[in-house]
Amino acid sequence: MTDSKTNSEDYLRMYRQMARIRTFEDTANQLYLSAKMPGLTHMYSGEEAVAVGICEALTDDDRITSTHRGHGHCVAKGANFREMFCELLGKEEGYCRGKGGSMHIADQSHGNLGANAIVGGSMGIATGSALRAKLQGKDDVTVCFFGDGATAQGLLYEVMNMAALWNLPVIYACENNGYSEYTKTEEIAAGSITARAEAFGIEAFKVDGQDVLAVNQLTQKLVARCRKGEGPFFVELETYRYHGHHVGDINREYYRSKDEEKDWKTNRDPIIRFRAWLVSEGIATEDEIDAMNADIEKDATEAVAYAEAAAYPAAAEVDMHVYAD
Amino acid sequence: MRDITLSQAVNEAIAEEMRRDPTVFILGEDVAEAGTPFKVLSGLVEEFGPDRVLDTPISEPGFMGIAVGAAMTGARPIVDLMFGDFIFLIMDQLCNQAAKTHYMSGGKLNVPLVLRTNLGATRRSAAQHSQSLQALVAHIPGLKVAMPSSAYEAKGLMKTAIRDNNPVVIFEDKLMYQDKAPVPEEEYLIPFGQANIKREGRDITLIATSSMVQVAEKAADILASEGIEAEVVDPRTIVPLDEDTLIKSVKKTSRAIVIDEGHQSYGVTSEIASRLNEKAFYYLDAPVTRMGAMDVPVPFSPALEDLTVPTPQSVADTARKLCAGELVHAA
Amino acid sequence: MPHDVTMPQLGMAQDAGKIVSWFKAPGDAVAKGDALFEVETDKATMEVEAQADGFLSRVTAAEGDDVPVGVVIACISETAGEDAATTDTAPAEDAKTRPVQDGMSLPEGDTVTMPQLGMAQDTGLLVTWLKTPGDKVAADDVLFEVETDKSTMEVEAGRDGWLAATLAEPGEEVPVGDPVAIISDAKPDAPVARSVKNGAKAEAPAKAEAPAEVEAAKPAAAKAPAPKPPVPVTTGGHILASPKARRLALEQGLDLGRLVEAGHPQPFHVSDLEVLRRMPERSTSAAPAMAAVSRRLTAKAGEDGVAGFAAWAADAQGLTGDTILAGLAGASIGSAVTVCVAVERFGDLAVFAVPPGPALSRVAPSEEAPDLLVRDLRGTHLASVEMGAEDVPVLTVTEAGGGLQITLECAANSMDGAAAIRLLSDFAGRMEQPLRHLL
Repeated sequence: MTDSKTNSEDYLRMYRQMARIRTFEDTANQLYLSAKMPGLTHMYSGEEAVAVGICEALTDDDRITSTHRGHGHCVAKGANFREMFCELLGKEEGYCRGKGGSMHIADQSHGNLGANAIVGGSMGIATGSALRAKLQGKDDVTVCFFGDGATAQGLLYEVMNMAALWNLPVIYACENNGYSEYTKTEEIAAGSITARAEAFGIEAFKVDGQDVLAVNQLTQKLVARCRKGEGPFFVELETYRYHGHHVGDINREYYRSKDEEKDWKTNRDPIIRFRAWLVSEGIATEDEIDAMNADIEKDATEAVAYAEAAAYPAAAEVDMHVYAD
Repeated sequence: MRDITLSQAVNEAIAEEMRRDPTVFILGEDVAEAGTPFKVLSGLVEEFGPDRVLDTPISEPGFMGIAVGAAMTGARPIVDLMFGDFIFLIMDQLCNQAAKTHYMSGGKLNVPLVLRTNLGATRRSAAQHSQSLQALVAHIPGLKVAMPSSAYEAKGLMKTAIRDNNPVVIFEDKLMYQDKAPVPEEEYLIPFGQANIKREGRDITLIATSSMVQVAEKAADILASEGIEAEVVDPRTIVPLDEDTLIKSVKKTSRAIVIDEGHQSYGVTSEIASRLNEKAFYYLDAPVTRMGAMDVPVPFSPALEDLTVPTPQSVADTARKLCAGELVHAA
Repeated sequence: MPHDVTMPQLGMAQDAGKIVSWFKAPGDAVAKGDALFEVETDKATMEVEAQADGFLSRVTAAEGDDVPVGVVIACISETAGEDAATTDTAPAEDAKTRPVQDGMSLPEGDTVTMPQLGMAQDTGLLVTWLKTPGDKVAADDVLFEVETDKSTMEVEAGRDGWLAATLAEPGEEVPVGDPVAIISDAKPDAPVARSVKNGAKAEAPAKAEAPAEVEAAKPAAAKAPAPKPPVPVTTGGHILASPKARRLALEQGLDLGRLVEAGHPQPFHVSDLEVLRRMPERSTSAAPAMAAVSRRLTAKAGEDGVAGFAAWAADAQGLTGDTILAGLAGASIGSAVTVCVAVERFGDLAVFAVPPGPALSRVAPSEEAPDLLVRDLRGTHLASVEMGAEDVPVLTVTEAGGGLQITLECAANSMDGAAAIRLLSDFAGRMEQPLRHLL
């Protein structure tokens, strides 16, 4: 095993990031329920281990592309609460000056090329980023997050084909949470998801998306291989979203049973699980973890308050940034 | 100054820019050894290697999306879209992703790419290979649209497009690739948003894009023999549009026809005519009149296809009517 | 099939109407749409049109009658056979008449002659009889209508009695002074209806002209028609011209309307302004049209102050009624110099020179051309006039109720509106209270 001290820091950070995602989403959900949030957003709660496990294997130089369910990726790739809440509320200090919102949130300083409102819309972008890395002789890796529903988009096959042809340093990470909006995955995806990648000669892996360590370990291996030019790779992560498709999808029993939700929340929650592991490994005590959680809560509360009080962009900004200089 | 074909002009422009900037690369179908079916890019893969002149599978959305991602992260791709008609395939990547990224990111992400494609009918290529779709992309904020009318414009506009930090769509008329024009050997760039007055006149302004500029010039010759002096103006880029030059010309002549090979309805001619109406109204002695391609899918039969586009004769006829105080599109 | 003429529904709350006048006489040919009679409602007078072609017959309501709404008052029959007084269904007062044969003698009685109608008129066209032979008449009943060259005039019976004979038929010209009717003291046994050409068959009656003097009638063709400016042949009266042509016309003070009047084809372009520039100068485009428009003003005097005054003035100062009228009218012009006023009454015309100042005694006869005409129709049955502008302004005095109606008519370019108002007001005031004149 590697140096446990270093690993301890890593583990604590992993926990911290997952807790931060959970807290962020809970807070965002409250913003929506109390009618303070313009528009809609899509909760990542339950999938924290996927984003964190993967992003913890990446550097700031590595890129990710995100989906409409993008808060988790954004936090995991190093974003701050304050700028994120500002963006969700359309304020000038948001990561996109309020002009992107939840579905287009991007934080390029940490390599997040942005959430995308079009299902599968960022697959090309991720692959292009990888192409650029190869063309320019860089060794950064791009991870393309997408859901099981996006496997229905033709773009996926076009880009996987080219990524395979050109050995691009891209990892296609399919967050299979069992539902494509309001429909079960098995009703919209024929055959095997990993087989799709394998058809292009791309090595494909399946992993328990609720196990942050497993995700992280796999990702670290694949990233290393990508940097050596052995990419692309495909990973299917089995996970679950606790909330509905979007924050307004509250009455969802018609497509998903409460029992099933309860089962995942109780028995397969990534944060509870990892916490237990941290404690049992002696990496942290319950109190320390509680204190960490309290810290995160405080951070979120302050960030939301800041964002609510922050200024909107000036009216003159409406037609700025249509074109770059 | 030497005379070179439009094809050669485009080739030179790209080659010069690829030499100048190592982040510039080409991707598209049959761009490498084949140099595209129109042979415009011949020789480039030999000079720059297969890493920078990339043959793709027939995956227009795929390689357009890849170009967007590459552009967002530091490269400057030139996408070759074999026929302008295929724009429909790439609309999400071009209009939802490329066009909007700079704005949606609050100005923090750029998409410096060039989409090189073509337009133009009368090649007997039928409805799905003959469209002129510049109006579609001109309608989307965040995209720039250039329409070179000769080899000279093609080279200057291409170089500007490659250096522009925005997504630029360049339409070349596929029937003009072998047309020659004088092109300087020294480097030059044609800025966007700068129209060119190709011919001065007193009686009527002919605003024309792409190959319609040649149509307008021939119409002007016909009219000159009848004592009517037509002024021919080439906007060169429709986004951004050099309104000032157009308005100044129309104020001088008091009459204008706008000629574009897109369909007459809901197109470039309508937009330019509307702007002239709004801004030169009190100077008009005749309504600004549109001449586009007929609102029909491009027919295959040679007997029909040639009827669907403006010709020097039809432009001259229209100009004559307007100068005589007659309406062309009467109620 | 004969078509009934009924008293029409006049208004929601009205159940009867008073017949003011008939425009057609029994036996007249009428065409659908012809004005048949006039009825007074509580709001105004209303013309009622014939609803069928044919001949007016079986008239059972006379002028002045109040007729309940819906009652049949006449009939339009298909043939001219039925005239006013031949059928048994006619009201009792219509006595039977039979056409006069040659050689039959006329009933005894006073003759009513064709009156003098105007200075230059020798004959009058008998338009219509308002009484039928055998009718009882009163002195001031209107007996017949005669057309002059200016308008239609009502002529009253002039004495009580019975209409024993009519000696001219509608549509016939009768020389001034010739007998047209006989009024007898006693009810005639055999009333006579004769035409001017004795023994000739009754001519088909000419279509009656719409009387121009009927009060409150819709403006008829009697008003001098004003040539309208040519209307541009475009929708909504727009002038079609290019924006540049309009702007240049405005900047250069050119009137596109002149191109329209000249019939220059629209739409106008810049090149058409050349045509406009070459057109001759005109002071105002409105002036020619104005010359033909006439003014008509009416005034009411509560009482005829002149009648009594004239009687005294005749005694005291030897002033005639005409002199007084001329003096009052002349003074109303308000001129600083002598004006020449003509007074016309019953065909007689007298012209006076009226110097400025209140002294009526200084009004003297004159041979000069008059500046103003006073037409005195007091003592006739004329109630109001609408004769159109004549060569000089005309003040027409008619009786109205217990007082007078005075009508001023003149060409629009002979005096402006303010002057016309002043003239009429002053004259009406003087007619009402002549003593004002002396102040």
